[in-house]
Amino acid sequence: MIRQLEKFFDKIRRDGSCRHDRAALLVRDDQLLKAGPEDFCEVGQDLLQQLNIVALAIGEPQIPFHHLWLPRLALDDKQIVPLDTETRTFLHDIPLVRQRGGHIDTAEVAEQLGRRKGVLVEGLGIIAGGPATVEQAYVNFSTVCHALFIGYLLQLARGILQPVELRQLRPLLNRLCRPISVKVEDLLIGPFVDPGVARKAIQQAGHRTVDLHLVDSFFGNVSCHINQQILISQTGASLDDLVGCIDAVADDNSCTAGLTASSELPAHRAIYETNDAAVILHGHPKFTVLMSLFCDNQDCAVLDCWKECPHIRYLGDVPIVAGEVGAGGIATTLPPVMMNGIAVVYGHGVFAAGSTDFRQPLRALIELENWCRNEYLRRLDQRIIL
Amino acid sequence: MTGWRGRLLSVDLSRQRIWMEDLPADLLHSYLGGRGLGVRLMRDHYRTDPFAPEVPLFFSVGPLCGTLVPTSSRLSVVSRSPLTGAIHDSSCGGSFAWHLKAAGYDVVKITGVSPEPVVLAIFGNKVEIKPVKHLWGAGVAKTVAALNPAGGAAIIGPAGENLVLYANIVTGEGNSAGRGGLGAVMGAKRLKAVLVDGERAVSVADPVGLQRGINDVMRLLNASPVIFGNLGFSEFGTAALIDLLTQRRMVPTKNFRETHFAAASRYAAPALRRLYAPKKQGCHDCPIACKKALRGRQRLPEHGSLSHFGALLGISDPASVVQSGQICNDLGLDTLSAAVSIAALSEARGEFPSGEQLPDLLRLIAHRQGEGDLLAQGAQRMTAELGCPQLAMTVKGLELPAYDPRGAYGMALAYATSNRGGCHLRAYPSAHEILRKPVATDRFDFAGKAWMNIVAENTNAAVDSLVACRFTLMAAGLEEYATLLSAATGADYTAARLTTIGERIWLTERYYNQMNGFSSNDETLPERFFSEDGSSGDGLSVPAIDRKRFFEERQRYYRLRKLDERGQLRQDYLDTQP
Ligand code: SF4
Ligand SMILES: [Zn+2]
Repeated sequence: MIRQLEKFFDKIRRDGSCRHDRAALLVRDDQLLKAGPEDFCEVGQDLLQQLNIVALAIGEPQIPFHHLWLPRLALDDKQIVPLDTETRTFLHDIPLVRQRGGHIDTAEVAEQLGRRKGVLVEGLGIIAGGPATVEQAYVNFSTVCHALFIGYLLQLARGILQPVELRQLRPLLNRLCRPISVKVEDLLIGPFVDPGVARKAIQQAGHRTVDLHLVDSFFGNVSCHINQQILISQTGASLDDLVGCIDAVADDNSCTAGLTASSELPAHRAIYETNDAAVILHGHPKFTVLMSLFCDNQDCAVLDCWKECPHIRYLGDVPIVAGEVGAGGIATTLPPVMMNGIAVVYGHGVFAAGSTDFRQPLRALIELENWCRNEYLRRLDQRIIL
Repeated sequence: MTGWRGRLLSVDLSRQRIWMEDLPADLLHSYLGGRGLGVRLMRDHYRTDPFAPEVPLFFSVGPLCGTLVPTSSRLSVVSRSPLTGAIHDSSCGGSFAWHLKAAGYDVVKITGVSPEPVVLAIFGNKVEIKPVKHLWGAGVAKTVAALNPAGGAAIIGPAGENLVLYANIVTGEGNSAGRGGLGAVMGAKRLKAVLVDGERAVSVADPVGLQRGINDVMRLLNASPVIFGNLGFSEFGTAALIDLLTQRRMVPTKNFRETHFAAASRYAAPALRRLYAPKKQGCHDCPIACKKALRGRQRLPEHGSLSHFGALLGISDPASVVQSGQICNDLGLDTLSAAVSIAALSEARGEFPSGEQLPDLLRLIAHRQGEGDLLAQGAQRMTAELGCPQLAMTVKGLELPAYDPRGAYGMALAYATSNRGGCHLRAYPSAHEILRKPVATDRFDFAGKAWMNIVAENTNAAVDSLVACRFTLMAAGLEEYATLLSAATGADYTAARLTTIGERIWLTERYYNQMNGFSSNDETLPERFFSEDGSSGDGLSVPAIDRKRFFEERQRYYRLRKLDERGQLRQDYLDTQP
């Protein structure tokens, strides 16, 4: 357990989701194991006593939603519903816990953590639970961060903040929107003929995508089509640690050992079937996800945009389509728009394909995210209210 | 009442009496339904001999049954196992549960022994006990054809009639309530079948909230590779596991002497699809439809049956493997226990049967004739009688399923601590160790597995009481099911509350077992797994299990469960529970 604590404490402090000096991780073993600031550990210890779970992550997010956003919501708002589709599937909603008379009622936090994977606590930050493993606490924490990040920045660009807060946040936003440098030339060069090399290339591309913060490590997926089979990262695998976590799935389904392949396998397969692609990279770059949610269409009748929007919209010249994960959804909507090798799924992420190796799709992914960062700041400056 | 019916139908076959009882709301809220409620209702009988007339046999459904919640039409059958002596529940698909709810009951309780073979026919408030002497001895298919049930049916075959200790109860559609021999409990009561039908709709407290919750679960199911993926259970059935476990080198082969059977691909899911072109079929209203149907009532067997009638006996002919499973289903025999018993006898004799010999052997077991009588006692009793107890691949008397514990240490621990004996379904560690849900864990590491199993044992006890299908946990979790349960019943459930209920059910079962003499001495594995290596290869090493680490983690399990060093609960545990 101590190994797990160290591994995920390190991750949570380095993945950019929260302030690196304001994150704590607590694990129930024969004794309580903890790491992080004392005040967080105290709250965490109190909570673990009230909950039947193994781990707890507590942290102050990069953008202080717990100071800025929560107090601005109506008092009868009990939760925030994620706007990005990927986290909404898993989180449903994020309960809000307000302070009472300047202090935090841990019984109320525990009650809410008994319902949902993570909560936002006024004045404190995000708390997420891991029912069975330490990794779950980490994943839940990052997922809540991701959802709030997208939700908040969307509201910001829609103009809900006071100018004074915006001025306060601007340096942070500038920093978050700094362009990513396009470092791709050192990746393995294709075309790949040897499955062993292809596996290495997948590991390398996955690692780089996480390092560049183009995906949280447990989301996203990477694949390569080689010798009538798709080599693809497994479901729930950490993209920065894919050794032993790549499945081979034969084009003709002649073996079912790939049962554990990524849930996006149908989409990857459909893209390979209809496009001249050898590799596919799928990430959830935050600003691209965010920008895909802006829609200028004022009087549209579609309610569930994420799955039912029939239009192809664009971020620059990159198409956006809607669709659910799985066979009936993006596996149908994506392939027709992948002719330039890259497309965005509404509120979810980016699929980028390459005809030889991962250099080209990674470059495309970075360039798109950089374009979106720039575009976001531009929108913010214009305060376009939609 | 919304969600539940609040009614129990009681039938005493000795006195031919039938009456209804109200189920107290607090029991329903504290034990939900299905397994939990059945286990609670066993409180006055857990020490009763499983073949004594007084022992009750419960058919129990859950508060979500009859709603549109995916996979909620499942039944629990609960009593004491004649095979193991432990408390036993069995989750079973088909349409019986749905029809029982439509008839207006949460539970049917059957006690007594009928003087002659009978069928219990329930249609709403009209309940009859009908003699069926002519069907005694008939297989399940013939019984279904003769009774031609309009609603649900639960039937025993010759195995149950002849008190084979691992006889199953089989539904009209061919789903089994398996493992612990509850078919024999039914046979001892001379109850050939229960037929049930009715036309009462289930009302729910918050239909809009329920529909929202259903949409959430469907989204998660759609995003789950194990369920709706290209190679998932919906496409290929649980047979999809054959290739996967072969690749992981954890296929019990030749009575668990080896862990790899290269010829398994001959009866793996893709091969069966080519050979049989099966159609998708599901339990009542299930969107997943993981069953693979052939002509008539026939189906392809599940993963465990295929593997144990294949690799475990060293047979690779797909026709034989499929046929063995189908014969067991008709005789009402548990496939896993039958195969493990045969494997143990084969190892003792130094010769495994051929595919051609199996059909006759299975019939001999069901009729307890010749060698079949020996095998009908199960592997543990049989090997004790033969003087080779080390060959019984059992825990607490229950034959082990088709996951070799040397290939997954959480599974190894789960077999040991399981309340119903060597069973993969209590903690279902293959979910995380093999299928990576809800999170992937290292299958060759004991670290964290005690806690992981506790969480899963509690979760599964709750899910078995709702009653939903385990496979939904490859996508959704208690969080989603709490929302659904709240919407159906109008009470406020959370994941944490369901966990507490699951824990209560688990500990109650454990308490019954403890009072029946089970202790830490029973919570280990057959010696083979600690002293013989598995079949390494393909760059994968499958060593014997480290005994010291195994017992360390088992002791940790006891500590985390707040049991004493011998795994015992406080004597007054039941007094503290509703
Ligand atoms: S998934 Fe399969 S076993 Fe489960 S309820 Fe559906 S059809 Fe039945
Ligand atoms: Zn994605």
